[in-house]
Amino acid sequence: MANNSIELNVQMEVEKVRNKRKDWGLKWYVFLIPSFLGILLFMVYPIFESLRLSFYQSNGTVEHFIGLANFKSVLSSNSFWNAVWNTFFIGIFQIIITIPLGFIFASIINSTKRGQNFFKVLYFLPNVTSIVAAAMIFAFVLHPEMGIVNYVLHAIGLPAPGWLSDPSTSKWAVIILAVWHWIGFVIIICLANLQAIPSEMYEAAKIDGASGLQQWFFITIPNMAGTFAFLLITGWIGALQRFNEVYVLGGPNGSPARSIQTMGAFIYERGFTGFEFGIASAATYIMFILILVFTFINLKVSKMKI
Amino acid sequence: MKHVRKGISLSLILILAVVAMLAGCSTSDTSGKADGKWAGKKIKVQMIGDFKDKTATDPITGKKVKGIDVLKEEFEKQHPGATVDFILMPWEGYTEKTQAMITSNEADVYQMPGLADFAPQGVLEPLQPYIDKDKEMDLDKFIDSQVDGWKVLGKDDDKLQIYGLPFLGDARFIAYDKKLFDDWGVEYLSDHPTMKEVAEKAKQMTGKNPKTGKQNYGIWFRGDWSSAFTLIDLAEGQNGKWGEGFAWKDVKFNFNSPEMKKGLDWLLDMKNYAPKGLVSNQGQEKWLTKDNNVAIMMNQGPGDTIKPTYAQGLEDRIGIAQEFKNKDGKGGLFAGSPLAIAKSSKNKDLAWEWIKFATDEFAQKYVFEEVGAIPAIKAAKTWKSTKKMPLMQPVFEAMSSPWTPRYPWGSSQPRFTLTSEVEAALTGKRTAEQALEKAQRESTAWVKNRK
Repeated sequence: MANNSIELNVQMEVEKVRNKRKDWGLKWYVFLIPSFLGILLFMVYPIFESLRLSFYQSNGTVEHFIGLANFKSVLSSNSFWNAVWNTFFIGIFQIIITIPLGFIFASIINSTKRGQNFFKVLYFLPNVTSIVAAAMIFAFVLHPEMGIVNYVLHAIGLPAPGWLSDPSTSKWAVIILAVWHWIGFVIIICLANLQAIPSEMYEAAKIDGASGLQQWFFITIPNMAGTFAFLLITGWIGALQRFNEVYVLGGPNGSPARSIQTMGAFIYERGFTGFEFGIASAATYIMFILILVFTFINLKVSKMKI
Repeated sequence: MKHVRKGISLSLILILAVVAMLAGCSTSDTSGKADGKWAGKKIKVQMIGDFKDKTATDPITGKKVKGIDVLKEEFEKQHPGATVDFILMPWEGYTEKTQAMITSNEADVYQMPGLADFAPQGVLEPLQPYIDKDKEMDLDKFIDSQVDGWKVLGKDDDKLQIYGLPFLGDARFIAYDKKLFDDWGVEYLSDHPTMKEVAEKAKQMTGKNPKTGKQNYGIWFRGDWSSAFTLIDLAEGQNGKWGEGFAWKDVKFNFNSPEMKKGLDWLLDMKNYAPKGLVSNQGQEKWLTKDNNVAIMMNQGPGDTIKPTYAQGLEDRIGIAQEFKNKDGKGGLFAGSPLAIAKSSKNKDLAWEWIKFATDEFAQKYVFEEVGAIPAIKAAKTWKSTKKMPLMQPVFEAMSSPWTPRYPWGSSQPRFTLTSEVEAALTGKRTAEQALEKAQRESTAWVKNRK
């Protein structure tokens, strides 16, 4: 009898806790409302509004429906394809330089016995610097006559390029800035992965007589695949959305001669300096599709599971 | 009972969240003070630039400057019962911010350099009816060309109309360093120089300075952002023009005219006497410093010239000459900031009163003496404060003779097309002729789509 009563009490208590959890489980949704409304207002609504605008000729207030004309206009615009080319050129070189270089630096830092934290901080500093401020400083660093880079090049007898004042070198100026800014992030992510590789694998390899280089090639690199895929995808998305640094260095039309105008800058130029919000919206959707396609390709290439 | 309590607390949390959100979205009180002729009337005025709320230190001169509360106090004194509030913003991104503000009916009066883009949206009040019925407003008080320069087309207009009246003045001129002219033994620029005179003097002053031994450059012009306007002025100096029309349906470009071609060839020639970085807005870093190495600066504005010159104590060293003008004495970019009334304003009469106040001597003096911006009225020419700065007189002259009305394509795609093609020519990507043909072709195609 006593046992039954205890059992009943325990059951009742369990039921109470369950109900309490159920109630509180619902209550937590209340706390999600503000951020959910924020997303709805500032992300979901603009996405649909932008889609609607892409079918209109709009100066911000007065608008009329023109069907697919904006898409036709963007897709047949040399400036747009030039912006696509610039975006891809800068993005590809940023990625193929930064990821391997960052990985090499991370490996070196990982193998050092002293000062690891110092190097981590040192390399990560550019990444926490505002890209706008960094771009302004780089304009001075790459100044054709007063810049430190050309001073060094001149001192060692190499030709001093015009950098941002020459369309043939301006993209490289942006790539140098982008590599400098992103490499700290790549190093930190690679280091995190490097430190997670079990040391037993290296010990076993050593017993089998593998050299340091062989261990790096056959243990370290294969174990980094997931990190490389992550960096590739985030790097691509960031590269395709590039705007801030090119705006600071070359204005909305990507001076000189549109040589550093990216897709983001093209959208800004047409939308906010030319009041062609329909064209800007259409270009935004085309950019969205391009990012979607290339992210999909990246996922396939890198075999990353999402 | 517990469930009921939980339900109540849940509802309370929900209500609080909604109230907090609604409070964030709500509009503020639009009623002003209770007494006086303007009792209960209130306006919001958007202002762009270096205006400050309260007294603050000017970063260039280091002097204390009065805040905009001075204008508020005086306006409210002159208009008993009225209340004026300000929304101050920097120049960065002012177009987007103004667009957002006007879409959400945020202010009654706007300082609006992009008048030509906003008036066709039908969001501004035409000012001619106010001017006609108000005897206190005399358009002759403004410096010549300033009112005409801001005439634009509204949504349903077929003739240029007044949607904004000049508040801040602006101009383009040629500035030069008299010390470098003296060092090289070259005569100063005349007040109205020709392309030939500028070119000859620039050539003479490029090389090692005979006095200091340092590298000097004869000329500098911005090869990127404003290069289209520098080129158009060169064409105007030869009696050419950018084209014609104002409404997109009437606009015809003339970017490939012989005058434009000659102007671009002149820029290509002058590039040889300029620092390397002009296409990326570089090479002029020492301008308005004691170590300056550039003799002639094309297409300069008063905002970047007058205050820094006096702040650096370089007033005896800097000279100002007019940009290239056509046979009627007109030429160069028209610029500045007018004031406009939003169509959505609930207190349009008070908004008009603000425009009258802001374009009168009290506010215009404040603009010049405290903010360091350029006034737009004739009376400014005789103020003690402007007479103390002799460089202001050629600025006033430049303000009275720009090309008017303002180029309708000045912030649209043809401007960026022409700028990019000038850059392409300056960086050797295309010849002057190819660049201008391309600019003409692309701008014509663009405007055809806008019709």
